[in-house]
Amino acid sequence: MTRANTRPSDGIGRAAPYLLVLPSILFAFWIIGYPIYDMANMSLHAVNRFGKTGAFNDFANYSRLFSHKLFLDCLLRTLVWTVCVVGGTVLLSVPIALILNERFYGRTLARIIIMLPWAVSLTMTGIVWRWSFNGQFGMVNATLSSFGLQDTPVEWLATATTAFPILIAIGILVSIPFTVTVILGGLSSLQADIFEAAKIDGASGWQRFRHLTLPLIRPFLNIVLVLNFIYVFNSFPIIWVMTQGDPANSTDILVTWLYKLAFRYGELGVASALSIVMFLILLALTIVYAVLAMRNERRQA
Amino acid sequence: MYQIKKRRVLGLLAGAAVLLGATTASRAETLNVVVAYYSAATQGVFEGMAKDFMEKNPGNEVKIEVIQWDNLQQRLTTDIAGGTTPDIAMIGTRWLVDYVKNDIAEPMELTPEFKAGFIEAFLSPSTFDGKLYGLPVAASARAMYYNKDLLAKAGVNEPPKNWDGVVDTARKIKALGSDAYGFALQGKEIETDAYWYYSLWTHGGELLTDGKSGVSSPAAVKALTLYKSMIDEGLTEPDPTGLNRQDIERLFKQGRIGMILTGPWLRGQIKEEAPTLNYAIAPIPEGEAKATYGVTDTLMVFKSSSKKELAMKFLTETAFSPKWRIEFSTKEGFLPVMKEEAAAPIFADDPQLRAFTDMLPYARFAPLITNWEQMVDVVIAALQKVYIGQAEPEPALKDAAAQIDGLIQD
Repeated sequence: MTRANTRPSDGIGRAAPYLLVLPSILFAFWIIGYPIYDMANMSLHAVNRFGKTGAFNDFANYSRLFSHKLFLDCLLRTLVWTVCVVGGTVLLSVPIALILNERFYGRTLARIIIMLPWAVSLTMTGIVWRWSFNGQFGMVNATLSSFGLQDTPVEWLATATTAFPILIAIGILVSIPFTVTVILGGLSSLQADIFEAAKIDGASGWQRFRHLTLPLIRPFLNIVLVLNFIYVFNSFPIIWVMTQGDPANSTDILVTWLYKLAFRYGELGVASALSIVMFLILLALTIVYAVLAMRNERRQA
Repeated sequence: MYQIKKRRVLGLLAGAAVLLGATTASRAETLNVVVAYYSAATQGVFEGMAKDFMEKNPGNEVKIEVIQWDNLQQRLTTDIAGGTTPDIAMIGTRWLVDYVKNDIAEPMELTPEFKAGFIEAFLSPSTFDGKLYGLPVAASARAMYYNKDLLAKAGVNEPPKNWDGVVDTARKIKALGSDAYGFALQGKEIETDAYWYYSLWTHGGELLTDGKSGVSSPAAVKALTLYKSMIDEGLTEPDPTGLNRQDIERLFKQGRIGMILTGPWLRGQIKEEAPTLNYAIAPIPEGEAKATYGVTDTLMVFKSSSKKELAMKFLTETAFSPKWRIEFSTKEGFLPVMKEEAAAPIFADDPQLRAFTDMLPYARFAPLITNWEQMVDVVIAALQKVYIGQAEPEPALKDAAAQIDGLIQD
């Protein structure tokens, strides 16, 4: 009799859980990894408009992408779009979540109303707003002129000066439900007694928020920031439905331009190079943010 | 190595599919037809053709799938890349050049009599190196619709024949001081470029000259300067870059536009939605030349199809029979593409339709070059910059022409 026979749980036993999850892990890697691999592969080769890959082409897709006159504009606009939408969303969501966390009559109803935009598809939201901001037939102009606030109709989506802030505002609107939900979850997990103790010690409402609530919900804020950053950076439907990047590409962000490159112009090679660049940007920003957030937490701990 | 593996897996899958297909439908063949959505009537018309064909060819099945134009290109690209193409598809005729270049479209062998049945002008856009790769459907030319009441109120009894007349008429409509605009100008989305080509061509310009872009020629600059001056003078609706084709058509249906350049489909919409609108149709205004934009869509057969014979039979015997051509063109509001169809009383005796068919000899088609869609967007961006006052016509068009020349090189 060997030891192995007497204590079978030692060798294989310890590895058993890993062995059991191995297939799912491999499967997940394949599902996630294969498209990235395929995309990277495409971005390095000549590709015709029907996705047939040809020869390796010396990074021609990348050099064409970086030398394209729209690339830098779209990149900068994407950053403005992402920072404004995510920043605006979080700034608005924190007070909303704080209010919804208080007990008041009709709170359930208020919570449902805040969540509603989430239930509507982004495309539908986009279509409704596109209609509302139509200069000749839209409800916004109709309302403004019936209150006497405007003499001649404004074509809101005709120039980027008005169109882009509108797009950002709608982007914020549709990001709020998810953000509020997460923050609300964070708020409801807080212990009531520390707030009572602070109150007894004479801390004002602002002090309690600044020194207790905010640090305690920080992990939730971090999640919300990172996830929203990724969603908004890649957010396609609202801009596509409302302006298609018009006029003259002045509301195009990287992902709408990517769609045009891939499916309107058939430039699959350049489009896949752009996807890889976008992927790397997001990956880098997420890693940097995660590192910063972790260091912060450790310091506080 | 990886490629081999992939091929093997695909081969196995294909084999399985063949086996499945063989057991369920051993003799009968199923023809998959993808068509584009024109209106609520599209599905019905093509289902009708399918039913008719299945009755005449028992045992075979025709499956019709209707796809929105916006998604069609993406859908077919994905199908082609994945090797799951239908047998027949409807495409924009200008896409055909890519399909032919990449060996995706099957050349069509047709009897001379059948070919002779078509109006010649509509076959040329789908002919490459003397071979025909698709049959034209949904032909349209463009003309000028004008609101008779509005023009009469402004003291204009005859529709303007040239651009000076258009400007003059628009000024008179503006002087009425109502909420109506003289001349509609499309400023965004699909065919924004075409709306300017009318002006370009009639001013004597060309899209391509000697393999170079013609969009910065003196005629082109003149054509764009005209539109810009009309915007600045308030002769068009304000801020055209906020309005797409549907928007300006809707304004016309509401009686708020004096003159609009568009295709035959608007007649059908007016009949449905604004039956009291008192309008008529005249040729596109002239400058130095007469012109209109001719557009066709195409039904093509895929080279990868295993049922090419049946597919051709469906096209020649049913889809392009006079009965179904008339049904399609009248229901969808397009121009006839076959001579027998054009001679049918419903087309021949329609004076409004004559306004369009009379323009066919002057019709220009989109040039059959690759990268066309990208060139279109370059032109649209230049136009929009001028319309919103971000750039002057000449530098904007020079910049666009340089970009297009770069795309032609590719």
